[in-house]
Amino acid sequence: MSVLPFDFAEAHHLPKRRLPEQALADPYELPRQRRGITPQMHGRYPDYDVLEQQEHWDEVTRRLVLARVTDVPPIRWFETAELETLTVFADLYLAQDSEPRIPVMAFVDEKLFKGELDGYRYFDMPDDGETWRIVARGLDEEARRRGAERFPLLGVDDQLDVVRRFANGELHGGAWNTLNVSRAWSVVTRHVLEQFYSHPWAWNEIGFGGPAYPRGYSRFGSPHLEGAERETWEGKEAYGVDPVVDTQERGLE
Amino acid sequence: MRLRGSFVKGALLMPKDNDSPFLLDRHERSLQNLDRMARYRRSEAVDLVVVGAGAGGITVAQRLARKGWRIVILEKGPFWDPDRDWVSDEKGAQPLYWTDTRIIGGNDPIELGKNNSGVGVGGSMTHFAGYTPRFHPSDFEVRTRDGVAFDWPISYWDLKESFERIELELPVAGQDWPWGDPHSYPHGPHPIAGAASVAWRGARACGIEMRVGPVSITNGVFGNRPHCIYRGFCLQGCKVNAKASPLITHLPDAIEHGVEVRANCMATRVEIEESSGRATGVAYVDGEGLERFQPADAVAVCGYAIETPRLLLNSTSRRFPSGLGNANDLVGRYVMVQGATQVAARFPYELRMYKAPPPEVSSEQFYETDESRGFARGFSLQTVGPLPIDWANHVRAEGHWGQALREYMRDYNHWTVLAVLCELMPLAENRVTLSAVTDGYGLPVANFTYSLCDNDKKNIAYATRVMDEIWERAGAQDTLKIDRYAHLVGGCKMGFSPEDGVVDSSHRVWEVPNLFVADGSVFPTEGAANPALLIMAVSDRLAGLLADKRVSRKEVSPSLRR
Repeated sequence: MSVLPFDFAEAHHLPKRRLPEQALADPYELPRQRRGITPQMHGRYPDYDVLEQQEHWDEVTRRLVLARVTDVPPIRWFETAELETLTVFADLYLAQDSEPRIPVMAFVDEKLFKGELDGYRYFDMPDDGETWRIVARGLDEEARRRGAERFPLLGVDDQLDVVRRFANGELHGGAWNTLNVSRAWSVVTRHVLEQFYSHPWAWNEIGFGGPAYPRGYSRFGSPHLEGAERETWEGKEAYGVDPVVDTQERGLE
Repeated sequence: MRLRGSFVKGALLMPKDNDSPFLLDRHERSLQNLDRMARYRRSEAVDLVVVGAGAGGITVAQRLARKGWRIVILEKGPFWDPDRDWVSDEKGAQPLYWTDTRIIGGNDPIELGKNNSGVGVGGSMTHFAGYTPRFHPSDFEVRTRDGVAFDWPISYWDLKESFERIELELPVAGQDWPWGDPHSYPHGPHPIAGAASVAWRGARACGIEMRVGPVSITNGVFGNRPHCIYRGFCLQGCKVNAKASPLITHLPDAIEHGVEVRANCMATRVEIEESSGRATGVAYVDGEGLERFQPADAVAVCGYAIETPRLLLNSTSRRFPSGLGNANDLVGRYVMVQGATQVAARFPYELRMYKAPPPEVSSEQFYETDESRGFARGFSLQTVGPLPIDWANHVRAEGHWGQALREYMRDYNHWTVLAVLCELMPLAENRVTLSAVTDGYGLPVANFTYSLCDNDKKNIAYATRVMDEIWERAGAQDTLKIDRYAHLVGGCKMGFSPEDGVVDSSHRVWEVPNLFVADGSVFPTEGAANPALLIMAVSDRLAGLLADKRVSRKEVSPSLRR
């Protein structure tokens, strides 16, 4: 069976649905973003830019969300070397392998600098800020074991292997002996994902409607009603699009 | 009030002894009567100091204020103005959560904060999903029926009228309810979104009945509270004033009747008179960092399952060296969470689960014990609709990262999620103790250890299989599972005797005659229902007992007789 690259009615692109010998789907075969920005400019909703909806958002929310794009916070918590190591790590974790990238570590830095906690700490872990510093030290130590001075200087295959071992809780010795490695993975990935998926560029990529007050939703979907799952302003997914209708709708004729 | 039949719905029915919906404004979300709020002097004893402005504390205060009690509520967090303070954004909702350090441990440590702990006026209900099912009659006699856990010293029938009163005040919307004690709701069911209708279809194919609701979200105009706009940010604080929290359902009326709320005030100790053993008031640190004391004839602690035990344990004295109510080492024990595993499912078409309230349809078909399942008690089923950060945690839970993570995230609009609430057992070693770590006030923080027992694991495993089966029958193309826990109750168990509980059936701490606990911490068992409605209901009942002076007056100070 031949599979169209963008047939999202099927689930062949999902990692758990791929055959063991099959590589993950290449995101660079997805449509390039035509409106707005997505991380690495690929996504499923090429003509959807959530930021175009900002006039429909309440003022408090608008200021908060737009600041994530326009006012990237300065680095105040991490040392320069720590930040370099952790940025490489975070971008590998998030598969941010080209520009434009969401500067997640700047937002993590802001959270830690402001002392914003998440409300719990495992009994066998230091506080979250200290956990991040130990992870930076541990990644650099692991790089030295593999013959590079620091983690950012390691080859990308080795870097990915270190991240894989971190994910599996398989890093030992030095800094890693001062905390619970699996829980450290949990702390840092939780922080990174919170920052990445609160950024409107990521919302563009996944087709999330974004802030919804005061407008709300009147079309919230029924599989029995064609098109009823989507407001007119919400992004269309890039599949099954008839090119003739599409060009007409977008006024490209 | 009895609700019979389903023809009287919506705006025709309004609560009689609570004007809150009319004291709000149609266009501004903030409370409109704050300029009329009472200010009591700290030099004079008030009738009651309440610690914690949440579901328990505000409800009890509103009821007693109407009987003429002079009441001060101390609340650690801010006094919210939803227009100014709340946002239509996941990350921006962080200020709603209790995020101060707490230490977690045990075999199955429970993550706190965002998941289950609120701060600020309105408490955790400001960011709860809105599900307000009733407990079943069986929940109050678990020991007798199933030989596990505990019986409550009160029954469902002691609370039935409280349930009805609170359901009218929130108001609760949903279909006629066939489980437990069958009942109707004051507001009709909300329309359901595509994401929930898929779960409905799968459940029907498995022979599982579901119902729409019950949610405490207006479905129609309710006083000056508007209709829900289905924006999907229930867990981030309702900017519409459509979803209930005591901030809007009970506090406006409480303020009108003389309740003072002191926001940004952290209670540090309940003070005791050594000679009589009675509570004299509450010491606290105010918003300027100054140590204060509010004398009172009675004290009600309503700080929920972590902070209530912590405050009692921190309130040591010569007479009570191990803390208040703790002579039998029961304060902080039997803290419970519900097993809240979620299974997400993928479908060929877009579902966009971020729309409409996350709670939509639910089932209590598995609520009661069924011996053929091999464990005691049961679980409820509900739909939820995680927003992107929460969705990322579903993907992360199965270990995906890098391109695999991004692939599942990009697929967001094709997914929908089922959740369960499994009734887990109260265990003595699942407890809050004081840590060596201190907070910004110099007080020892809570140390919360938690481990599952065998019955818990069987329940969760069975419930997970039911979700898997529903999705299979619905035609899901892929699933993702996350093991998690929801809600917090217990820690100051209500009991038949001082050896059996921290408080008696009228919420009075056995050892301290004028000290009460009115929140979820008094629950001896947790049922498989969300706790918010029951917290309000037990507080409503307590207020009835105090106001009707059915709690022995001799034990309550003279000035309470008004």
